[in-house]
Amino acid sequence: MSRLSDDKLREIVARFPTTRDEDWKYTDLSQARDIASRWLDEKPATAASALQDDAAAITSTIDAAWLVIADGVLQTTQAPDGVSVDRVDDIPVGDSALAEFNAALVRDGIRIRVSGQVERPIGLLLLDSAEQTSVAQAYVEVEFQNGASGELIEYHVSRGDADQYANTIVTLHVSDAAIASHVRIQDRGRNHLQTSKTRVSLGKDARFSSASFDLGGGMVRNDIDIDIANTGAEVSFDGLYLAGDGQHLDNHTRVDHRVGPATSRQEYRGILNGRCRCVWNGKAIVHEGADGTDADQANHNLLLSEKAEIDAKPELEIYTDDVKCSHGTTVGQLDETALFYLRTRGLDRTAAMQVLTHAFAAGLVSRVPVEAARGAVSALIERRLEELAVTIEEDPS
Amino acid sequence: MLDIKDLKARVAGNDILNGLSLSVQAGEVHAIMGPNGSGKSTLAQVVAGHDDYEVTGGSVTFKDKDLLELEPEDRAREGIFLGFQYPVEIPGVNNAYLLKAAMNARREHRGEGEIDSFEFLKLAREKMAALGMDPKFLNRGVNEGFSGGEKKRNEILQMAMLEPELAILDETDSGLDIDALKAVAAGVNALRSPERAIVLVTHYQRLLDYIEPDFVHVLSQGRIVRSGDKTLALELEEKGYDWVREAANA
Repeated sequence: MSRLSDDKLREIVARFPTTRDEDWKYTDLSQARDIASRWLDEKPATAASALQDDAAAITSTIDAAWLVIADGVLQTTQAPDGVSVDRVDDIPVGDSALAEFNAALVRDGIRIRVSGQVERPIGLLLLDSAEQTSVAQAYVEVEFQNGASGELIEYHVSRGDADQYANTIVTLHVSDAAIASHVRIQDRGRNHLQTSKTRVSLGKDARFSSASFDLGGGMVRNDIDIDIANTGAEVSFDGLYLAGDGQHLDNHTRVDHRVGPATSRQEYRGILNGRCRCVWNGKAIVHEGADGTDADQANHNLLLSEKAEIDAKPELEIYTDDVKCSHGTTVGQLDETALFYLRTRGLDRTAAMQVLTHAFAAGLVSRVPVEAARGAVSALIERRLEELAVTIEEDPS
Repeated sequence: MLDIKDLKARVAGNDILNGLSLSVQAGEVHAIMGPNGSGKSTLAQVVAGHDDYEVTGGSVTFKDKDLLELEPEDRAREGIFLGFQYPVEIPGVNNAYLLKAAMNARREHRGEGEIDSFEFLKLAREKMAALGMDPKFLNRGVNEGFSGGEKKRNEILQMAMLEPELAILDETDSGLDIDALKAVAAGVNALRSPERAIVLVTHYQRLLDYIEPDFVHVLSQGRIVRSGDKTLALELEEKGYDWVREAANA
């Protein structure tokens, strides 16, 4: 289904960002463009039937009220008290080719409203199959109403051997004095592509805590844009990316401090092994008059292979005086002194490396703001690190 | 148990050990003393297997095995424990996890099963109480944010749990106040046994007031220049290291 003609869609695809755009210089979308074009040529029919078992298996790992969107179709809606879920008929067209593409093709866009104190986490599973060349779109709006508090888990998974390009848009509005906790898990197939845009806006004295985990995906580009236009907002978000051979994981973050006082802090960590590339670009803009802003950003990377590449770039733009801003970026290998210490305690080199690598990730897991998701996140990371460790043994570089 | 013959070693292109020989038997406590730069810590690191140190001559055998052929982890599993002068902080790895992993590595090497969790906790609490350590330290990151004294106690705790056949304690007394020193010494003394050997590497005689050595050796310029019983340490305290240097050069 499409809201636009094929010709119009092709015209949008042709406008996808390229590496000539400053914001996209490290991430080449030509493969996504190619998949989108082939998909428009072939228009294969989708069958969502095969995903039910997968959905059941995944949702069983985290105790939450799950909404499942399989191949674009909203399946189950077990909304807890205080939560409403509706389909969105008027998807906003957006301000970029990727948003236009999303608006034209998304099937079940959904709007979630959270009011009051909702104890049970809301799970949102976005599950896409790729039996044949496919393009997947998701559109989600979540509104935490005034004074509400709630927890949201986004879980992105894809299955299948064929090419797939997924394009997701999530908008979170945390209203006055609301408290939103958010976890995003991305565990797509290693042959699949993803672009995602998360927009967060905050009301007065609103609180937003988030943790993102990129474990899968072949080529992934995540943008998170946080807009602070009301005083007293408190934002804290973490991200962890684990990349192995052939993966390209790009995280672009942007925080706009338009007024103060307000605080934002972010910490992204990456563990890279094998031939892979990751990008972290953290932009913080403190606008004129946003006095009393406190913005902190950190990005730490562990490179386990000489073939791994990281582009880490903090960008601070400050247009006012009364601010506290800090940033720190590190890129390094495992600490040899710590490795030796562990080996003198009887752990072999591989085990010692694994222990230190886990420890590097563990710092963020302990801060996952949705407690119900912590165990599952920890298990996923453990599994992925074990896969990555295989490469350590084969390639001691 | 440990036989070091004519050991020569260098680090970063500098010769540090220049023909050191030392024989340690089960049941003995040896103290290695010497001025800064005499090669005390290098000796400890070489025996533990640090690969920054290049062995250029001589031999080291432990229980008749060629120690220099073994990886650091295999030396540990054979029963060698190095207490670090500067214990390493490892945030994110909890103390209990490391203790258990270390014990299990050793047990597996000996063909024993993994330690039961309940047994482990019981043992750890017991040893911690004896060392005056709060059981909360079990769930903290390894040495993370520990004071100097807490780090050294933690080393002794690891040693007490692992029950090594040979413990080499590198400057375990440095930076300790008197209470910590007593606790650490008591921990070491509790481990003395006919099956076990302990090598204390120390700059000062002070530690030897609490742990009485069977032998005292004085290191200078990478060689043992004098050996004796505990009275040598007292003599050294009185006359200073210059006395040894003069004796060595005479």
